[in-house]
Amino acid sequence: MILPIGPVHPGLKEPLRLKLHTRGERVLSAEIDYGYVHRGIEKIMEGKTWQKAVYLSERVCGICSYIHSQTFIETFEKIAGDEAPLRAQFLRVIANELDRIQSHLLANSTYFSIIEHETLFMYMLSLREMIMDAIELLAGNRVHMAWNVVGGVRQDAKEVHLKSILDILDKFESQYSKYPQMFEHGPLLGLRSKDVGFISKEDSIKARTVGPIARASSVPTDLRTDHPTYRDHLDFNVIWRDEGDNFARTMNRFDEIPESIKLIRQCIENLPEGKFRKKIDIPAGYADRRNEAPRGEVAYMIETNGNLIKNISIRTPSIMNIDACARYMFKDVATVADAVATYASVDPCIACAERVTIVDEEANKTHEIRGIHNIKTIEL
Amino acid sequence: MSSVIWYLYEFARKGWAEKFAGAATDKEIVEAPDRFRDFPEVIRELCIACGACTAACPSPSAIRLVRTKDKDMEEGEGITYPVINTDACIRCGFCAEVCPTDPKTLRTGENHLIREEFTILPAEKMFVIDDYLCIRCKKCMKACKVEGAILEEDNKIMIDQSKCIACGECAKTCPVKGAIKGIYISNVEGQKDVINLVIHYLEDLIEARQDELKGLPPEQVIKFEVPFDDVLERAEGMLPEEEHIRDMVEKVTDRLKLRIITWDDSKCNSCRLCVDECPSGAITYDKEKGVTRDSKKCLRCTTCYQTCPFGVAGSYVARFLLTSTELQDDKILVTVKPALLPFRG
Repeated sequence: MILPIGPVHPGLKEPLRLKLHTRGERVLSAEIDYGYVHRGIEKIMEGKTWQKAVYLSERVCGICSYIHSQTFIETFEKIAGDEAPLRAQFLRVIANELDRIQSHLLANSTYFSIIEHETLFMYMLSLREMIMDAIELLAGNRVHMAWNVVGGVRQDAKEVHLKSILDILDKFESQYSKYPQMFEHGPLLGLRSKDVGFISKEDSIKARTVGPIARASSVPTDLRTDHPTYRDHLDFNVIWRDEGDNFARTMNRFDEIPESIKLIRQCIENLPEGKFRKKIDIPAGYADRRNEAPRGEVAYMIETNGNLIKNISIRTPSIMNIDACARYMFKDVATVADAVATYASVDPCIACAERVTIVDEEANKTHEIRGIHNIKTIEL
Repeated sequence: MSSVIWYLYEFARKGWAEKFAGAATDKEIVEAPDRFRDFPEVIRELCIACGACTAACPSPSAIRLVRTKDKDMEEGEGITYPVINTDACIRCGFCAEVCPTDPKTLRTGENHLIREEFTILPAEKMFVIDDYLCIRCKKCMKACKVEGAILEEDNKIMIDQSKCIACGECAKTCPVKGAIKGIYISNVEGQKDVINLVIHYLEDLIEARQDELKGLPPEQVIKFEVPFDDVLERAEGMLPEEEHIRDMVEKVTDRLKLRIITWDDSKCNSCRLCVDECPSGAITYDKEKGVTRDSKKCLRCTTCYQTCPFGVAGSYVARFLLTSTELQDDKILVTVKPALLPFRG
């Protein structure tokens, strides 16, 4: 029997159709349908001046919006062959890590709500609220920060802001440490999470998973190690696990949060004095840039003529993760409830995934990618 | 029974009743932080109607400039001010950043406090003053809405590009046609191609009339007309936007002055004086072909015309004027006359 879940479903955060092939309660395989929130944001950006498109790039994703504007800006700085002042780079790290904490907490809260553990779900969201307050204090708004500009950040962080962020982090840490323990040692949570939705290292590499999903199945990849600011000035560990199941993915996110807090503290302690913004002239050119978003690798490829954006292409992490989930994780899952929980554990972000169409110029055809089930039929 | 008494006691407590009557949320929860960007606040009186906010807005229909009429007078100018459409506004605060007035018309969060050197306005055009045509009437300085954007230095009027908001008001008021030029920033290579194509086409037209020009006595001119659409057709498709092409071709053909060099091979005696004189190497000598001139390399300096003892090279000056009337199609008036330069032959 084919059991459809979604696109409009109380269990899913965002519109996407899961077609589960079931025999009795057992899920044998799955198909995934995209295309319910396609917005064509790249097409809107083309032909606009780059100053405007900075604010549009944030609208690619509703949860991890910050990293999109940062990658967009860093691509332009790469085209100009220049980089932002060191103070601005540190401030960017602070905002980026705050964004990562809130995104991980939201992802875990969704997972807990799907496995019907409402207590932890509520705890996660109340913890997230503190971080959202810190973001609002620093950048102005809670989700779309509009904090990055080419050549630095828009407004300087004053002593007051940094102090109150440190206070919030102290309060956060004092409350935080018990929740991962609750999840790690809870017997019922363990039953629902351990050995469910398993993906091996080989399959994970084959499916090109990125971010916490790859790191939970012993692929220790983190693009922050290649980022110049993180590499040269900051010290952090790449968290990875080897179980490869729902438990590992959730725990991996839990363990990354203290690392992010550590990074923010380092940044605030060593924050260099000086300019936070400088003027950068943009010449015509092309560049690409990758960064580690909360969900994995995000890549921007931009061609500009110095004023307008000629061509832009964005690659977001969710598309690989969701396809890996459909192909490798939904193999002989015991129950439908476990299948939905597995889907929630890969932290799918449909809003940023749905921008892809493949245009075949010779045959004058357009192919919509609808997940793993039709990607093989597209001949390029 | 005891619980009933407890409830009665609770109801009777004064503090509880007061709390119930004056229920309100804690102020600390509702208060937005300093940097919170709400929809921009507009102070109508300060607006100078420059349109910088509408040009900067990433959302297509979020800001609109509105002009009101004075109530007392029918023909009063009224005031102009931006109106924010809250359905379309994405609250990025970019409009408050680029607003050139002091103090700012638009305010949101702390964005209106961002300093002037960073207010980068995205614009299609860049305005420059042609010093050769400028008559220094200073009308543009009065028309300019931003203080200090047009300045006078060493008896020259100049535009400060860091302050200019590219509204184009100066170009409208300028009494001399073409003295203030709006240049498109994008597609510079494509614009060069359009200019070259138009000029080569016009030159070819004049060189085709060599026979008429040869017999022309000094102080007499040849006049003819070229339809504007003929020129425009040739440039079609060279730039992505149709309007830009039309604008470019209009600017190139209007008030254009060209030097025309004609070449008459039959008169040449292969003395090769011009080959040595030519500064750009456009004239070459070959044993089989004789003396040849490459018009693409030629600078139109007229050195060959002044050197040649036999009158092989002819020099003429052509002037172009674009006329636009409502009754008929646009035409380019061309006037060609011999150059009055010393001539040995």
